[in-house]
Amino acid sequence: MNALEIENITKKFGDFYAVKKLSFTIPEGKIYGLLGPNGAGKTTTIRMVMNIIIPDEGSIKILDQRMDDEMKERIGYLPEDRGLYPKMKVGELLLFLSELKGLRGDPARKEIDFWLERFDLVEWKAKKVEELSRGMQQKLQFIVTVIHQPELIILDEPFSGLDPVNTKLLKDIMLEMKGKGRTIVFSTHRMEQVEMICDDICLINKAEMVLEGNLSQIKKQYGKNTVVLDYDGDAGFIQDFPEVEKIDDYGKFMEIKLKERSDPQALLRKLVGKININKYEVQEPSLNAIFIDKVGGKGVRDEEDTVSH
Amino acid sequence: MEKESEMRKILSVIKREYIQIVRTKGFIIGTILGPVMMVAILVIPVVMSTVAVDKQKTIGVVDLSQEIFLDLDTKLGQEDYRLDDGFRRYVLKKTALLPGVSVDELKKELNEKVLKEELSAYILVPEDVLEVEDIETAAKKEKPEERDMEYVAQHTTDIQELAELNEALNSVIIEKRLRKEGLDPQKVSQYIKRVRLTPIKVTKKGEEKDTMGTFMVSYFLALILYMAILIYGSVIMRGVIEEKSSKVVEVILSSLRPFQLMLGKILGIGAVGLTQFSIWAVFGLAATQYSQTLIPAGADFNLVSIPTYIFVYFVVFFILGYFLYATLYAAVGSMVNSEKEAQQLIMPITMFLILPLLLLIFVIRSPDSTLSVVLSLFPLFAPIIMMLRVSVLLPPFIQVGGAIVLLILAVLAMTWLAAKIFRVGILMYGKPPKFAEIVRWLRYK
Repeated sequence: MNALEIENITKKFGDFYAVKKLSFTIPEGKIYGLLGPNGAGKTTTIRMVMNIIIPDEGSIKILDQRMDDEMKERIGYLPEDRGLYPKMKVGELLLFLSELKGLRGDPARKEIDFWLERFDLVEWKAKKVEELSRGMQQKLQFIVTVIHQPELIILDEPFSGLDPVNTKLLKDIMLEMKGKGRTIVFSTHRMEQVEMICDDICLINKAEMVLEGNLSQIKKQYGKNTVVLDYDGDAGFIQDFPEVEKIDDYGKFMEIKLKERSDPQALLRKLVGKININKYEVQEPSLNAIFIDKVGGKGVRDEEDTVSH
Repeated sequence: MEKESEMRKILSVIKREYIQIVRTKGFIIGTILGPVMMVAILVIPVVMSTVAVDKQKTIGVVDLSQEIFLDLDTKLGQEDYRLDDGFRRYVLKKTALLPGVSVDELKKELNEKVLKEELSAYILVPEDVLEVEDIETAAKKEKPEERDMEYVAQHTTDIQELAELNEALNSVIIEKRLRKEGLDPQKVSQYIKRVRLTPIKVTKKGEEKDTMGTFMVSYFLALILYMAILIYGSVIMRGVIEEKSSKVVEVILSSLRPFQLMLGKILGIGAVGLTQFSIWAVFGLAATQYSQTLIPAGADFNLVSIPTYIFVYFVVFFILGYFLYATLYAAVGSMVNSEKEAQQLIMPITMFLILPLLLLIFVIRSPDSTLSVVLSLFPLFAPIIMMLRVSVLLPPFIQVGGAIVLLILAVLAMTWLAAKIFRVGILMYGKPPKFAEIVRWLRYK
């Protein structure tokens, strides 16, 4: 079964294409990364999947069915713009949002207690949401997303603004859900997270898909033409070597893209004695490098998407 | 038709809206204070005007006619003009015009006394106050003139004092004039006793005596409708803006369609309104029952009895009017990011609510005129104007029914329109949309 099948969807706002002829398929039980720079159309795509906005063209199938109201109960959604009712009490809020997902009564109460316990929020159950710290509100938002045991979980920029503790918590939940056979789609522009978690990816730029498929296969296509160098000293001269096509220098760490058919061992010999080498590794390019390559060298910014649609 | 599980979700929204509002201090205080305020506004001015400054006042009287003072003094010594403790409210001090002193000089002297507060005020009675114009000269004038008499004081805004003194002076002077002509004042007052028209309403059920009751009730019901729509409309709008600014709306929309959310909010807050009215109605009825026992039997005061159909129509028009405007308020709320931004967009809606209020008196006075009929059929005005006409005279059923049908159609159209705007607006942040943009939203798939 496919968790999500997107076929040729297009959405225009006025003359502006938010998403153009996008197609991809996500098999069940995978973690799928929806990547792209800010304003590429990730959030619009997710909103169309959630049926919050309707595509102008194309079709979306979820869990092998057309999206309808009841389908929403089988999906968990963490929007990019987090938000809860600030004046509601934590317990009431969770019950209300569970009811909207079709989970009510005692089963709902049992789940609420289970998740509050797990996230160490039990003593906050009768407190108003606005009294919780930002970190606690984020935890509450995860609970809202998964409380009804959804089969498909959609997370829009889930790690943005999270502290390391909550980042780990969320990552653990994602892997746990995957272990239970659930499918997770998440959008981000932070490549290192994708490399750690995702099975498959889809890269969108300017409303259109530029890359799609299995992450390790994609990397393999790019070949082992990248050197990762961990060093001390002044390494600016490397750029001038004939073997080097491009470098990405971080000061103590450098990713070097070699020209075709050049020998990484020759490069290593040239470096010895000139700088202090802590690590020299020949590998596939990082996703970050692929991303920058595909998106056209445009820098990846850290802020969240500002254009909603 | 919605499936059952979807209905239950709307029910969850209704329940949340209802509980969240009914539990607030604002609602509880408002429900208690509402009637208290209403009573206070009606009662306090009346009470205050009678309590007024209970203090003895010394009034100077310059009686140039030499005929009034004694009678006036006697008159103001009567029970009616006494303070609660039995003392005279007005102590008169006669000031004679000494020979060789002009009236202006005397006035100057008295003004000093008033400023020094030796006198509270003084009255100047002209020499010829008892003279009357001959009939022919008087007949040429359009209406009988009143003689001017000066009342001089530091402040002249105590309406009660002015009225009392005026009344006393008039009765004394008129009596004097009549006696001068050899007429018996008591007889004359019998002759000039006035008559009064008693309004009696004829309906299909027959005649019924009507005092100011119908007028007051109609006015009151129209005001309540207006207030309710205005207040609960803004509550809806504020709720939508809050959901937008707290960004919770996208979480909700991952479970509900925008239309379900809007409907749930409108119904939930409408239920809050009905709850508040029911509480007021129960207390109001209890209060009338209680006050009825206080009115002595046979007193010339009958409480207005309101026919049941008026209540039925009131509920119908309240619900339809509320829905019509609630959808508008919800749509406006979805378009903006803050209440401040909303103020501008809400203006036209408020205008449509205020206009019928300005036309109230006109409609009450001529409920059957073509203009009244047209106004009462126009859906945005119908809730208030038709309600008014129903309570003043029961219009032909075709008109009332027509207004209700038009109103229902308008509610459906407006709900459709508002849902379209709501759907797009609720996810829009940034500048509020221009009109052309809103029109474009309607075409979005």
